[in-house]
Amino acid sequence: MPERFITLFVNGEQYNLEVGERPWMVRTSHTLAYTLRESLELTGTKVGCNKGECGSCTVLIEGKPVLSCLTLTVECDQKKIITIEGLEDPQTGELDPLQQAFVQSGAFQCGFCTPGMILSVKALLDVNAAPVEEDVKEALSGHYCRCISHYHVLDAVSRVLKKAGE
Amino acid sequence: MKSLQHVNVYTVEEAVNTLREFQGEAMVIAGGTDITGVLKDKLLPDYPKALVNIKTIPALSYIKEESSGIKIGSLATLSELSKSPLLQGQYKVLAKAACNVATPQIRNMGTIGGNLGQDTRCWYYRYPHSLGGRIMCLRKGNGPCLAVAGDNRYHSVFGGQGCFASCPSDTAVALLALNAEVKVTGKWGTRTIPVQEFFHPRGNSLKKVELIQEIQMPYLAEKTRGCFLKYTLRKPVDFAIVSVAVLVAMEEGVCSEARIVLGAVAPGPLRAKKAEDFLKGKLIDATVLEEAGHLAVSGAKPLSMNSYKVEIARTLVVRALTDCAFD
Repeated sequence: MPERFITLFVNGEQYNLEVGERPWMVRTSHTLAYTLRESLELTGTKVGCNKGECGSCTVLIEGKPVLSCLTLTVECDQKKIITIEGLEDPQTGELDPLQQAFVQSGAFQCGFCTPGMILSVKALLDVNAAPVEEDVKEALSGHYCRCISHYHVLDAVSRVLKKAGE
Repeated sequence: MKSLQHVNVYTVEEAVNTLREFQGEAMVIAGGTDITGVLKDKLLPDYPKALVNIKTIPALSYIKEESSGIKIGSLATLSELSKSPLLQGQYKVLAKAACNVATPQIRNMGTIGGNLGQDTRCWYYRYPHSLGGRIMCLRKGNGPCLAVAGDNRYHSVFGGQGCFASCPSDTAVALLALNAEVKVTGKWGTRTIPVQEFFHPRGNSLKKVELIQEIQMPYLAEKTRGCFLKYTLRKPVDFAIVSVAVLVAMEEGVCSEARIVLGAVAPGPLRAKKAEDFLKGKLIDATVLEEAGHLAVSGAKPLSMNSYKVEIARTLVVRALTDCAFD
């Protein structure tokens, strides 16, 4: 097989990866979730069910929330990917207002579903700066939280919206 | 998931040629939400040699209006469908079906071609190989259908030819109501199949070297109204227990044309012809619609655990008809 390289732009950084069977290479069978966590060591992205049902592994590809556990890495060539690590300020390390709101509202218990939830809300706020509660619920409908933090998540989102309105 | 060859293709011809080169041992991947699961769980005894990625074909992603009707490229995603300004009026049925599929993330990935071509969700068929070995069955070419004697609460209630798995596609239900056709390209050229014939008692009529290129929907009568309803246990994520798409053309309270399609109750989407014929020319009132609901499920042959689906189907038909007739 001819040599093949792919380029990912994860959180603004460029990664050139080689596709192949050697241990350091990206295999064609690797999912984006696997590559992010195991190759790029961006373990903020969580893998829950690994079947596309729970939404934990959600990342933004070209600004749209998608499931990284059902996306093959080789198919992400030249794509812009945002993971939870990409939300904080790279210089100061300051959290995104959305992350801050989640902290202040206590919008999690175990926190496993949180990275995905935050990214889905982020994608919503990028296209709709003033969503109503129904929009937020719809955007979050693909995320499961076994700790029942959903109420607090809605609280966090309304907190961030209120702050933006001021 | 085992490694396999991965080929990006840039035109439909290239896709077909690549599929031919692998002599049926390659599979097409687009959104990947279904096939990635099939490969991860190693459901099928024959693991494909290669994946042909058609997401890289820019010419397959469109929704456009032409003189003959609306045409949708097979790579149009479900979220594009649910937001498309072209899917207004009676075509809203399709937009509604698309926005009822799974979750926002899956709708961003999944395509209409993939939604039609997806494999069944029968839990015997889908049993992962890593948990004590895959379950062989009639659909996989060896053995009986395990749903007949086993737990069949989500299976077909309108019989099957040996295999009782139901068709999980939501858009197929809407597309059959809209009288759509599927344009398929393979090594012999292009053929157009009505949605009804696209589905097959054990899957679909796509050959291994074919791919769905386009969905074509004809224009319908001006006064047609449509409704799509889906019953699931949880609103997001779940596949339909029963889904219903209904199109009704009314003239001064009299039904001139009706199309009623049931989903997830048979191996493919199912037209309720008896109920359609009954409604034609009738002055519509609540009792007529009740009767149509009964007729829509009149041929049902439920298995041991799924007669409840018949009742849900009947109720959904009546609700959808009521919505169209008295809206």
